[in-house]
Amino acid sequence: MAVSLSGIVMQYPGTRALDDVSVDFRFDEVHGLIGENGAGKTTLVSVLAGSKLPTAGKITIDGRQAVLHSAGDALRKGIAHVSQEGCLVPGLSAAQNILLGDEPRNALGIINKRELSSRAAALLEKWFPEVSIDLDMTIDSLPMADQKVIEIVRALRGDIRLLILDEPTATLPAREKENLWRIIKTLPARGVGIVLISHFLSEVKALSDRITVLRDGRHVSTLASVEASEAQLVDLMLQRAGGAGTGTAAAQVTRTIGDAVLELEEWKAGAVEVDRFAIRSGEIVGLIGLTGAGHFGFARSIYTGEGVVRGETRYKGQSLRSVNARDMQKRGVAFIPDQRMENALVADWDVRENLAMVHPQHATFGSTGVLSPRKEVHEANEIMSLLNIKAHSSAQMIKDLSGGNKQKVSIGKWLYGAGERYSLMIFIEPTEGVDIGAKREIHGHLKRLAAQGAAIIVTSSDLMEIADISDRVIPFVGGRAHPIIERADFSEIRFISAMAGVIQ
Amino acid sequence: MNATSQTLAGAKGVTASRGRKDWLLRYSTLFALIVLFLGFAITVDRFLTASNLLNIIQQISMLTIVGAGLTFGFAAREMDLSVGYMVGLSGILVPLLLISGVPLPLALLAGVGAGFAVGAVNSALVTLVGVPSLIATLATGSILYGINFLTTGGRAIYGGLPDAYLWMGQGRLLGIPVLAYAMVLFVLLAWFLMERTIFGRYIYAAGGNLRAAELSGVNGRFYRAAALVVCSLFAAVAGALLAARLGSGQPNAGERYLLDGLATVFIGMTMIRPGTATVTGTFFGALFIGVINNGLNLVGMDTYIQSIVKGLIILVAVAIVSRTTKLKLL
Repeated sequence: MAVSLSGIVMQYPGTRALDDVSVDFRFDEVHGLIGENGAGKTTLVSVLAGSKLPTAGKITIDGRQAVLHSAGDALRKGIAHVSQEGCLVPGLSAAQNILLGDEPRNALGIINKRELSSRAAALLEKWFPEVSIDLDMTIDSLPMADQKVIEIVRALRGDIRLLILDEPTATLPAREKENLWRIIKTLPARGVGIVLISHFLSEVKALSDRITVLRDGRHVSTLASVEASEAQLVDLMLQRAGGAGTGTAAAQVTRTIGDAVLELEEWKAGAVEVDRFAIRSGEIVGLIGLTGAGHFGFARSIYTGEGVVRGETRYKGQSLRSVNARDMQKRGVAFIPDQRMENALVADWDVRENLAMVHPQHATFGSTGVLSPRKEVHEANEIMSLLNIKAHSSAQMIKDLSGGNKQKVSIGKWLYGAGERYSLMIFIEPTEGVDIGAKREIHGHLKRLAAQGAAIIVTSSDLMEIADISDRVIPFVGGRAHPIIERADFSEIRFISAMAGVIQ
Repeated sequence: MNATSQTLAGAKGVTASRGRKDWLLRYSTLFALIVLFLGFAITVDRFLTASNLLNIIQQISMLTIVGAGLTFGFAAREMDLSVGYMVGLSGILVPLLLISGVPLPLALLAGVGAGFAVGAVNSALVTLVGVPSLIATLATGSILYGINFLTTGGRAIYGGLPDAYLWMGQGRLLGIPVLAYAMVLFVLLAWFLMERTIFGRYIYAAGGNLRAAELSGVNGRFYRAAALVVCSLFAAVAGALLAARLGSGQPNAGERYLLDGLATVFIGMTMIRPGTATVTGTFFGALFIGVINNGLNLVGMDTYIQSIVKGLIILVAVAIVSRTTKLKLL
């Protein structure tokens, strides 16, 4: 009565996302899955839900070997996945969402609305008799927790034995969370096992019967929830004994903290409000938060001005009237965004052209605007050796590079033309999809840039990364900046509790 | 570079085979052109003569100029469907002004000015109002068509055109048609702008990844607008030359330059940097179309069958691009 994974390996070019992972997910338990970002949770769940085929390893369902080629395949075999962002269709009613793609139709293919409502209501009643939701409401007018319930009911539409819940409560207010917890807990008794992924350790502990810890793509331990303390779980996630400190070498290059580079006051961008924010040259400030906490949006808005409603901006002591990418770039602000292929690089270009994107004028004949290919190659080679970008030449197409090298190009394009030095550099997820080696190098570059006098804002969902490189950390909760955590006070527990809104 | 040397050995094997495939892909259209050329040269006796080859050059010169302009649009991922009627407009305007006594340089300048004005309207619609270029230029093209026929009453404008103007379209310099010089001049200008200046680089950036360009501090809106202006400008030049070649301004003479111009760019996109519009590619695309038209003409093939053959060739070219790369138009 379980889905067993044994010896699962997932090999990507340059990285091994899963390395010989074996776990049983039983149909009568809530099974928590924890680990840092990049530990392999998402990949493991993708394998389980059929959306990724593992490089090696075996999946057995109730003792019978199974190959899951697609999400549909997994569904037919009783495994459903409710993703973090959800996939409800706004504008449709709750009932329509529950039966999406499986609507009762008459002979002419027209949807029978009455039957749709009654079947949806029956499904909700079957699984969660204690819940009352008006299924005729459009889905977006329902509270977040009810939307989650609707998604779960939809997932349970078929003959489901194992339900994967990815961060089900990340977007919910505290009160609604408890309700959802209660609902989730009723399922194993009815033959539906739960795989629960959550950043909230307390939640995982409270809900799960057993907990599996992953680290760096390896299975660390599976233990009964009652036997594990939160501190112990954190230790397992981070691999350290005794639970003291963050365990990372400070590796601080001597840096002098200088004058304020950027000061914001009464800043409001979208749903994010920050009363005061200041960063000085030579300083690395980390922004952390849970999904939807607004730290990414805040970092982005400083450079792009996107969604900025009000706010006073002082840059190097001067008050700015407008904030937009073009002006900020000219003033000396660099922006290294997440999702580099969408936001930073031109896929059809080679390394040299991508590197030259911000400052092509550094490789021209005089100040004519006429490019000198020879100077461009020279300049590109400089950056490639500075950042150790591995490509066979600057003429290699960017799309053929590994994630780490692409990210280095995304950083390198701001360093191209060494005469310029940026006063403020904003990094969003600087090591997203980057292997460990390149990650360390990128951290080194960030510290070096700060030592050269840049003020650096880093926002990342990788807490270890933030702990490793930041001088100060600002936790964001529900669109607000919470009190600063100084380097001396850094710890995983401190970060996690701060992200959950617990102020110590 | 020594840090990268260890990975070089591993990477080389992969890229060598990829390189060969790339190379084949990159030049397959060029091979097809050569085969076509040789085929005509062997089977059609009047094909491989100096006068016929110069004739081909003369025939494709306006098309090449329109295509070179459209290349800017494609690079910025903007489509200009008004170029054909723009060719018509300047092909009417310049002779009209000349006949009414305006000196040649001023008349030419007015033609180019009209191109600039239409380009400015197109780009304002696209970048300021936010109308997709495909639709905006479809509309402005229709408006130009109306203007062309209203101003001429549907009749050709001829008689009294200065010799200097006619020489531009029909004359020769050192035995080579003046139009050929004009074509080379504008192709080189386009190539230089696109491949060797920041201006061209940023037009490619705006088309290649607008968001990345704007987050890098590039004024994406400006470069998209500029690309559309270049489309119209080059079409205006082609129109002025076309009327000189025909010896008259004809309201409907420019129409075929839209489809043929697009075809040159599509065919061009199969080579050099597959999936990307390049000036060199467009030039070969125009040559391709010129050779087909000329060869089939000499064979005596019916114009409607020529049209079908050309359509099929464009389909094959676009199929190659679509199969091998992501064909990104808008």
